[in-house]
Amino acid sequence: MSESNTSQDIASLYRFMAQCMQYPDSEWMNDDFFNVFYNLLGTFGAITEGKEIRNALEHSSDFIEDLQIEYTRLFINGVPHVVAPPFASVYMDKSIQGSFALRTLSFYREKGFTMEDNADLPDHLVHELEFLSLLAEEEDFTGEEEFLSKLFRPWYKQFCPRVAEETRHPYYRMVVTLIDSFTKEEEEDGFQLNEA
Amino acid sequence: MAFNLTRRKFLQTASLAAATIPLSKVVSAETGVAKASLEPKGTMGDTTVVGGLCEMCFWRCQLVGKVRDGQLMKLEGNPKSIDNGSAICARGNAGVKLLYDVDRLKYPLKNVGKRGEPVWKRISWKEALDECGSKLKAVVDQHGPQGICVFPHGASAKYPMHFFERTVGTHNVSEASFFQCRGIRDSAYVNTIGKAPGEMVDMSNTKVIFLVGSHLGENIHVSHIKSYMKGLQGGAKLVVADPRYSAAAAKSDIWVQIKPGTDTAYLLAIMNYLVKNNKYDKEFVAKHTSGFDKFSTAISEWTLDKAAKECDIPAAQIKEVAELLAANAPNVAIHPGRHVSWYGNDFQRERSLACLTALLGAYYVKGGWVPPKNPAKLGKTSWAPQEHGNEHNLNFLKDKKVYAFNPPGTPTELIRDCAISGKPYPIKGCVVWGQNPMQTIPNQEKMKQVFNAMDFVMCVDVMPTDVTMWADILLPESSYLERHDEIKTGVGKVKATDKEPTQFIAPRMPLVEAMFERKDQVYITNEIAKRMGHEKEIPVQTLEELVDKTLASANISLASVKAEGGIHLQPGFSPYGVPEDFMVQLFNEEIAAAGHPGAPTYKAVEEVPAGYARLLYGRTPVHTFNRSQNNVWLNHEMSTNPVWLNNEVAAKLGLKEGDTVGFINSEGVKSRTTTTVKVTPGIRKDAVYMYHGYGSANPLLTAGVGQGVDDQSLITKIAIDPETGCHGMRNNFVKLTKDGKALDIPA
Repeated sequence: MSESNTSQDIASLYRFMAQCMQYPDSEWMNDDFFNVFYNLLGTFGAITEGKEIRNALEHSSDFIEDLQIEYTRLFINGVPHVVAPPFASVYMDKSIQGSFALRTLSFYREKGFTMEDNADLPDHLVHELEFLSLLAEEEDFTGEEEFLSKLFRPWYKQFCPRVAEETRHPYYRMVVTLIDSFTKEEEEDGFQLNEA
Repeated sequence: MAFNLTRRKFLQTASLAAATIPLSKVVSAETGVAKASLEPKGTMGDTTVVGGLCEMCFWRCQLVGKVRDGQLMKLEGNPKSIDNGSAICARGNAGVKLLYDVDRLKYPLKNVGKRGEPVWKRISWKEALDECGSKLKAVVDQHGPQGICVFPHGASAKYPMHFFERTVGTHNVSEASFFQCRGIRDSAYVNTIGKAPGEMVDMSNTKVIFLVGSHLGENIHVSHIKSYMKGLQGGAKLVVADPRYSAAAAKSDIWVQIKPGTDTAYLLAIMNYLVKNNKYDKEFVAKHTSGFDKFSTAISEWTLDKAAKECDIPAAQIKEVAELLAANAPNVAIHPGRHVSWYGNDFQRERSLACLTALLGAYYVKGGWVPPKNPAKLGKTSWAPQEHGNEHNLNFLKDKKVYAFNPPGTPTELIRDCAISGKPYPIKGCVVWGQNPMQTIPNQEKMKQVFNAMDFVMCVDVMPTDVTMWADILLPESSYLERHDEIKTGVGKVKATDKEPTQFIAPRMPLVEAMFERKDQVYITNEIAKRMGHEKEIPVQTLEELVDKTLASANISLASVKAEGGIHLQPGFSPYGVPEDFMVQLFNEEIAAAGHPGAPTYKAVEEVPAGYARLLYGRTPVHTFNRSQNNVWLNHEMSTNPVWLNNEVAAKLGLKEGDTVGFINSEGVKSRTTTTVKVTPGIRKDAVYMYHGYGSANPLLTAGVGQGVDDQSLITKIAIDPETGCHGMRNNFVKLTKDGKALDIPA
């Protein structure tokens, strides 16, 4: 496998993971999507998990609505609490749009990227994965590694277990685990929590 | 889970390439992060954005925002302000945390569960608006416009309220600011002096500040408190009537530890003393009042001794206060209060305050009640008023008003009774906009019945609250920091030495852009209006246009005010001097004709039953009721509301400072949560006190849920002020509970 191909593969994986974390909608969350998803899980030996998800979807009268409700509960506003807001600042600054979000945006800018007008906050999980995908496309592996270690992993490793433990749907357990695996090095670096 | 790869192993997977090939086919082509077209600029540095108008409470202090890269870092008072100046209060500072509260509403939500036990699903604005429009239209088509009731509150609720009231045509609108707060005051003064009084007492120039229940210092409005402090610094005497040793009582020269509910008797005795002893302002009374003879006769029974007995205070102290007021008249500030819906006898108390001011000649004089000469009234841009008759006005029975002196809107209890009973007609649609009726209106179970009687409930708010749990559709609104809005006008002095005041006009401008999918009231209302068939009547297309049209009546614009630093200043005029036609109706024939006492009259309230204490509540300086309970900074400052308990009572009950207690009221309603005891001699033995706005039941409020006790949950007995139809909320009685056991309060 050439380096260029690898970088494209990495970019594709990041983009796919970003897509997985978009709000569920039948526009994109269709049979094609799930076929690709199950195939990917199979590649990584997660066949049982794939079956579990397939089973949950097949036994639902409206699986899109199930996933929308679960997405809302996990990431937007949920009862009893929103489980895991998908923003870095929430974990690092205990606030939306904390200084960690600014640092994230600064990093994007240093690398020559910017936020689109209709984008969510810069430290939203989806955008961070998109950004990582773009870095991979540019074969900026140093940048990718720096971003992962300084700005992504410190919060994601708090976010991921919250979702994995609290979710009522195997799809989200799998997606956050997939992202975790793909962004995790063997040794996590320590990172100081900003004071709220 | 068996799945336990690391990145390195991930990438070493042999068939990775095969797996990734189809990935690109199922992902969206668009990303939120994109290559910048220009050279990266790096950080833009801090900028100061002008035009902020605070709404952590409703005083509307003028703000600037320190903004970095679109992120609000800090709020400060606008240095150009001649109102609050550069100062803002703790709540004002904490607006940053409201803006970025993790729990804030972000997207339209649909409740796919039950009302009260919601299961939320994010939906698109189109779907949300389609549902709101079609459901509300269906209610109107089936039941008429009166089938919709509206509970609005705050600046953003005005535009939608006008839509439903004027354009759709329902009378069933109830604002908490009127019916559970200051409406009684405004109506009483309108029917005494012809004007709502605001809090327009010239405290900075007064010789005596006279407060009945107002706990300034715990209730903070910055320019008002500045005026109060300036008055005290200038040597003004302070008289505070309050059953509790409030922050104001702590600064007082005379603390009148009055029995709750008897304030009117106290005021009548002061007035009777002034009249009987010729210590009132005869010239003012002759020139500017009517009905003096009937008035003085009506109050003549209120001797010092009689009032002393009724109010449980020394007669000598009533006399001392009356003498102090007379000696310093007319430069005395008789404060009209703000939240006055206490006992269901409040209209008469407010009339008494207005009449006392007249006896002292304390209108339009230095240190008295002085309405500032504000900028000429700005034009009102909103939905055009239309006549809808009173056929479906619940406050009219056969062309006669049920509550003759109600503030604008329909008394809440009339709406609730109609909604629950379906009589005289069904109310099936409910719009809640910025109000939290679960924590502002007494008797929560009744409120739940109202929601359960509806075909459709929609709520618009910035935060989840106890009422949003009852919505079918919940819409996220942009906050006061993210939108244009409300215009504050007033007067102040640019320099302390200025002889004449300066007028100011300060429209609200956004300090940052709204995040997520939050929308403002004009957008939401217009879109619903279109779906209800009222597109042609839409008065403005955007909120910005609404504000600009309003400013045009003063020959200014948002752009010009922004260029002026967010506040427009213009020359003002001295507020002093009684207008020739100013009249005070000491005896009001119209009130008498409506079957109520024409002269201020005391009506005793229910005595505290044996074993109970009267539940009193009030404000804390760092919260604005339940609105701020989830704010992490404010929650950190005061996360709970300890109950004030008299030290002798505590000793008899075996309770000590910090003990955890719950409550049960005289109707058997228990508090959902507990709080701690504050043991103090600064509260009467027959009352307990707590700060209002705690103990939210909504688990969406990560910081605020279940913190302290929700006093409103214990206010189940409903008292109605007979003249205005407003609620009285201090006629509820509680026992403390400890370890599940109710403790009898000793007499």
